[in-house]
Amino acid sequence: MVPWLILLASLPLSATAGPSKTLGVSPDLLPKYTPSKSGTWKCLDGSKEIPWDFVNDDSCDCPDGSDEPGTGACPNTRFYCKNEGHIGAFIPSSRVNDGLCEVQCCDGSDEHTGVCPNLCKEIGEEYRTKRDAELKIQRAGAKVRASYIAFAHQEKKRLEADVQKLAEEIKVQEKEVSRLRDIAERSESLSQAALEQKKKSPLYQSFLSHNAALKSMQREHAKHLEREKALGLILDTLRTGYNPNYQDMAVLEAVRGWEELAGLPHINDVGKEKEGENKDDTAKQETAPETEEPLEEGMWTADQLQHQLDALLGTDYVSLLLEHEEFIQAPIDGSILFELSSYLPESILPIYEDFKDTLVSWLQKFHVISGGTDGAADSSRAQQAYHDAENELEQLNTEKETKENDVKEIFNIHGFGAKGEWKKLDGTCLEKDTGDYTYEVCLFKEVKQRPNNGGTTFSLGKFESWNPSPDVKPGEPEYYQKQVYKHGTRCWNGPERNVVLLLTCGTENAILTVQELEKCEYEFTGTSPALCLPLVGDQKKAGGSREEL
Amino acid sequence: MRSWSFLGVLALLLVNESSAFKAHDFKTCSQSGFCRRGRALSARAKEAKSSWVSPYSVDPSSVHISPNQAVFTAAVQSSLYPDIKFGLEVRIQDDGVARVRMDEVGGLRKRYDEAAAWALISEPVVSKDIKWTTGKKDTRAVYGDKKDIEVVVAHQPLRIPLLRNGKEQVVINGQGLLHMEHFRNKIEPATSTEEPAPEPEEGAEGSGESQTVLKVENPRAWFEGDTEDALFEETFSSWTDSKPKGPESLSLDINFPNHGTVYGIPQHATRLALPTTTGSDPAFTDPYRLYNSDVFEYLASSPVSLYGSIPLMHAHSTESTVAVFHVVASETWIDVSHSSEKSTETHWVSESGILDTFLLPGPTAEDVFKQYTRLTGTPVLPAHWSLGYHQCRWNYVSSDDVRTVQRRFDEDDMPVDVFWLDIEYSEDHKYFMWKDKTFPDPVEMTNDVAVNGRKMVVIVDPHLKRAQDYPAFKQASELGILVKPNSGQGEYEGWCWPGSSSWTDFFNPAAWDWWKSLFKTEETPGKWSWTKSTTDIHIWNDMNEPSVFNGPEITMPKDNIHYGGWEHRDIHNINGMLFSNLTYQAVAERTDPPTRPFVLTRAFYAGSQRFGAMWTGDNLGTWEHMAVGVKMVLANGLGGLSFAGSDVGGFFGNPEPEMLVRWYQVGAFAPFFRAHAHIDTKRREPFLLDEPYKGIVKDILRLRYTLLPVWYTAFRETTTTGMPILRPQFIMFPKDKAGFEIDDQYYIGSSGLLVKPVTEKDVREAKVYLAEDQVYYDYFTNVAHRGSAKGKEITVPAALDQLPLFIRGGSILATRERPRRASSLMKRDPFTLRVALDKSGSARGELYLDDGVSYDHIKGDFVWREFVAETKKGKKGLRLSSVDLGKAKPQEAVDGVALATYNPQNSFAESVLKDVRVEKVVVVGLSAKPASVKVEGSSEELVWEYTSGVASNEKKGGKASVLVIKDPKVLVRKDWAIVIQ
Repeated sequence: MVPWLILLASLPLSATAGPSKTLGVSPDLLPKYTPSKSGTWKCLDGSKEIPWDFVNDDSCDCPDGSDEPGTGACPNTRFYCKNEGHIGAFIPSSRVNDGLCEVQCCDGSDEHTGVCPNLCKEIGEEYRTKRDAELKIQRAGAKVRASYIAFAHQEKKRLEADVQKLAEEIKVQEKEVSRLRDIAERSESLSQAALEQKKKSPLYQSFLSHNAALKSMQREHAKHLEREKALGLILDTLRTGYNPNYQDMAVLEAVRGWEELAGLPHINDVGKEKEGENKDDTAKQETAPETEEPLEEGMWTADQLQHQLDALLGTDYVSLLLEHEEFIQAPIDGSILFELSSYLPESILPIYEDFKDTLVSWLQKFHVISGGTDGAADSSRAQQAYHDAENELEQLNTEKETKENDVKEIFNIHGFGAKGEWKKLDGTCLEKDTGDYTYEVCLFKEVKQRPNNGGTTFSLGKFESWNPSPDVKPGEPEYYQKQVYKHGTRCWNGPERNVVLLLTCGTENAILTVQELEKCEYEFTGTSPALCLPLVGDQKKAGGSREEL
Repeated sequence: MRSWSFLGVLALLLVNESSAFKAHDFKTCSQSGFCRRGRALSARAKEAKSSWVSPYSVDPSSVHISPNQAVFTAAVQSSLYPDIKFGLEVRIQDDGVARVRMDEVGGLRKRYDEAAAWALISEPVVSKDIKWTTGKKDTRAVYGDKKDIEVVVAHQPLRIPLLRNGKEQVVINGQGLLHMEHFRNKIEPATSTEEPAPEPEEGAEGSGESQTVLKVENPRAWFEGDTEDALFEETFSSWTDSKPKGPESLSLDINFPNHGTVYGIPQHATRLALPTTTGSDPAFTDPYRLYNSDVFEYLASSPVSLYGSIPLMHAHSTESTVAVFHVVASETWIDVSHSSEKSTETHWVSESGILDTFLLPGPTAEDVFKQYTRLTGTPVLPAHWSLGYHQCRWNYVSSDDVRTVQRRFDEDDMPVDVFWLDIEYSEDHKYFMWKDKTFPDPVEMTNDVAVNGRKMVVIVDPHLKRAQDYPAFKQASELGILVKPNSGQGEYEGWCWPGSSSWTDFFNPAAWDWWKSLFKTEETPGKWSWTKSTTDIHIWNDMNEPSVFNGPEITMPKDNIHYGGWEHRDIHNINGMLFSNLTYQAVAERTDPPTRPFVLTRAFYAGSQRFGAMWTGDNLGTWEHMAVGVKMVLANGLGGLSFAGSDVGGFFGNPEPEMLVRWYQVGAFAPFFRAHAHIDTKRREPFLLDEPYKGIVKDILRLRYTLLPVWYTAFRETTTTGMPILRPQFIMFPKDKAGFEIDDQYYIGSSGLLVKPVTEKDVREAKVYLAEDQVYYDYFTNVAHRGSAKGKEITVPAALDQLPLFIRGGSILATRERPRRASSLMKRDPFTLRVALDKSGSARGELYLDDGVSYDHIKGDFVWREFVAETKKGKKGLRLSSVDLGKAKPQEAVDGVALATYNPQNSFAESVLKDVRVEKVVVVGLSAKPASVKVEGSSEELVWEYTSGVASNEKKGGKASVLVIKDPKVLVRKDWAIVIQ
């Protein structure tokens, strides 16, 4: 290697006409860009000592590239533009002397002299105007946000009051439950044996097996319905979402087949409806499903089956059994004794009724006929009352627990934020009409896609979390700029739909854009005042922690 | 249309969704009538062995030699049909290429004879000084500088060999498989009361009719077989081909008795050295097929036809390289076999068209490429930016999406030149018509990309949606320039992306100016044109096979009618080329003067190299496809189409990061470098990768940009010589037999760069074959490896971030080492010269530069330098000099024009390049530390640094010595020398 000293002797120190030695150097490093007494300079990483003349000479010498802060000769370094009149900025070395005037370098220092004008005055002005507008929005948004926080605190109070009230109700209910339990226990011990005997009745046993069979049928039926629905959904998605692009005639035929079966117009004709409404009507008539054959008398319609079967299955068979006993053991029904009244002249009736009551009570006393009630029924009713009361207590407890949880959630950083600023928006639904679809975002709940021209509404996902990136800490402002909704309706032949909602500060809660960046992965952008942090200066003016209330 | 049934729906739901290549969509040879007949013919010949004699012969009395002696014509007869007349013509061109043509004379109809008119750049020049001599048995012509080439037309049977030094190179009809089916009328079966013959079963050979003709001995049965097979109608799946012209197929055998390896006939997903399809233990059971097809999820090893067809086959041996160019545009099947290790037999069966075959005598690969590109043209010099990195996806969904993708590249400081838009930019797939909802501001979007020195490529497919509100369709319909159905009346209607569509018939000259007018970005009164575009938008032509979703084999029915009354079957393989040809012209002519257009095409034919780039279509994100993609790009280069690449990442599927990294390494070393992805895939733009993958890919992208001067220089060379840009071993070392089958490593142009991409999972080591006794330096580490004259395999580390890339000793590379956002922003950047000394201590290299966008280079506005490092005899030290090649060889500088003079002070050299200098010189392999390094003529010592290491002339390997010279301040456009003492 040629010793630098020899070189130095032959090179005058200041003769080069290149850029200034400190061009592109950031202010904090400026002190380091000075030559040593001997006219040399050490690379910032200390790896090499070079003549001072080699700094910014448009030829890379230092392994760390520090000798060329202003020329772009060393890759992977940064260039600093002073941007006087505006704000200083860094650009990558790849943009220095590339012939383009970088917006970030409004002073034009990133290119050779004379290439780029100094626009810092204009750009600075523009920037300030824009910044002012943004601040205005932020200020307005922050006010709304403060009201959200206030709401959260009120909500907390309200919930706490509710919890208090519930606690009292629970106390009362607990007493009631214990009273009823006593009664039930006493009557049960008396009647249990009698009931067990009755349950052996073939009728009751047959009821049980009918019930079991019906339940199984219902379950199977539900499974089939579910499956049919799922298949329908798959085919609907295929119909609306298939890309005529799959150069797959089989898919096209599947779509057509489904349309015929389900009585839907051809997807390519949807939207044409306006032009040819009449035509479409006839088409619909043609494809209307055939009327089903009439039902036998007493048979249930599909509708009844769906809605009334549960009630039927919910029948309390023990009660029914007991009622049945009552009914059977009152053969009086239709017997002369009880129906005699109809044969008697009206004038005698009152005397007869008196007589009958006395007679019947006598007969019952001696077990000649059985009465309207017995021990088993008594016990059952007491049990029922006890269970009802217990259920109510449970409900109250659950309600209390939920509300207690809600109180905690309001200020959970993973939930409505440390200040509860999002609580107000829980379940708030925002809509965006993109022409073909209307998208509905119910914050913290679910995102849906509704076709404007008819068709199935799909879930695009349920609320999963705020920004899940490991680089973002929960509680930081950045954390609340992204919401993730997952596990929406599965795409045909694809994954479940998911949504990422990107939020920024704005005076309104609104969805701005919706894009399906890849199949079934949606990106929404929107604004919310809940993201408008109060400006530091404003906060001070307002006397500090007003926001905290 | 197949009828729907509910069962069908159920069946669909049960279908395994992973089913990929749909073999049943495409014909095998046995499902194609004429291929079946052709293979049956060759089977009969094989069975007959030596008793087989071709029925075709020359009538000696008809032999005629043209007055200038170069054209031989004669009448040919077939003993099978003595009444049918054929005409044979053999011409010898001035470059030694022999052209053999044969057609039926005075037949019932006319065979298609225009394929050559579309493929060739001009009518080849016939030699003026060739003498034919007619003997009793044959007529022969002897020619060549050394009178070493001989073309013989043997009269009976007809046989045409081309010989060099008495050795047969190419033989036409050596096996007697030549058969030109003459036109005939269908003989309708008697409509008497006779019971009709039973319907023949589909695909079954010779049922039914054979029984009715049993009584009569068929005198032609030995040759044609006993039965008529699918002569007048043919059914495949649910489609029936009406074949109104009846049988007209052409069977031809072409033998290479002294060449054991054949290459070419792209496009097939297979090895470069074509595996056999017949003979003992063939690699494939079906012949190679040439029938441009949109094959969904094609197989990574198969002879099925793909998107493009080039009927050019190279035959190679240690002694010579020759080729045949069989200009047929109809469906063609080619069987390949080797009767011995040293010979190759091929059998070509085409559905229609005349016999028009060029015999390219070589004798070197360079000669073959020169001969072939004199016929079909050399690749066009592409716009410089199109050699950068292309970012594509089906689809960037909005103009804001495009802007975001661009921003992300810039945030990560990754270079990219072009953003692409697939079909979803267009409203209802009406190309040119932007979807207003998502692309409300296409011009502003394009400008936002262009402001960073970048371009956009937007797709325009050949199918036109049949919608009256679509100007392109409406105008084409009114002009009557749409392809017609088999009735010859009205408009053919098929199904493609937009639904019901029609196709422009580009064979109709009336379509040409119309198509060009659509691309005008400025308003023309009374005419619709694409005013919502800018000249920064270039075009992607996809689906031009043409792909027709509901057509037979996903394409047009063969009996569709084109301009001039030709059937689609006659022109099928040319169809796609015509579309990209016209688009290419349209894009060029948007400006005045024209600027270099970029058009990417999927379908292609011989000659497509004149119209831009191609890619290997819809590949899969698998390692197998990555590997075969390399071979396919190499094969395309052999077909003249050097500007080729395969989709980085694979079109279908979600490649894991390792695969994506390796695929970027493959892509960065293909002439056309584009990442693309199917609509169902996850996004995979390089900025989305995690570290370390992201950093590795960024480095690969930057490496591509660093080497752009090397690529551009290689492109210049191919535009003048036709030599492929990617050069496999057999071209570099034609006498090294061990290299003939190697198709996974290759050289880039004449640069001396050797690359061996890794295309296997988990592989961290690569074996590289070095065919010569020379030193090769690792591009990144300067570690020297020694080859051997007998051939030697070296093993090198290939960690994920290590690409096996070498500089052959004796090369000088000019690179640009400053990373930029886009290639256009590098045009004023200085160069680094990397001098890799060979074992004798010298090296050379080239650099070609021009403005990269205009056609001014044709006028001489370019800089073409040669760098030479050598030790002058009797002197010590190394002298590195820059020589003006433009001045030395102006006539060889640019394609199409033989410049008489060259002005070194041309406007390019004096503007953009005026101050562009060499900022660094790296000399690898010096044997000792220099005493001084100076620019010749200057007394000033340059600044330099020397690291000792292995010298180029040593026997051992290891880290080579490196001399780094700092900023010699010499200008690229000037003559200079640096002396290292």
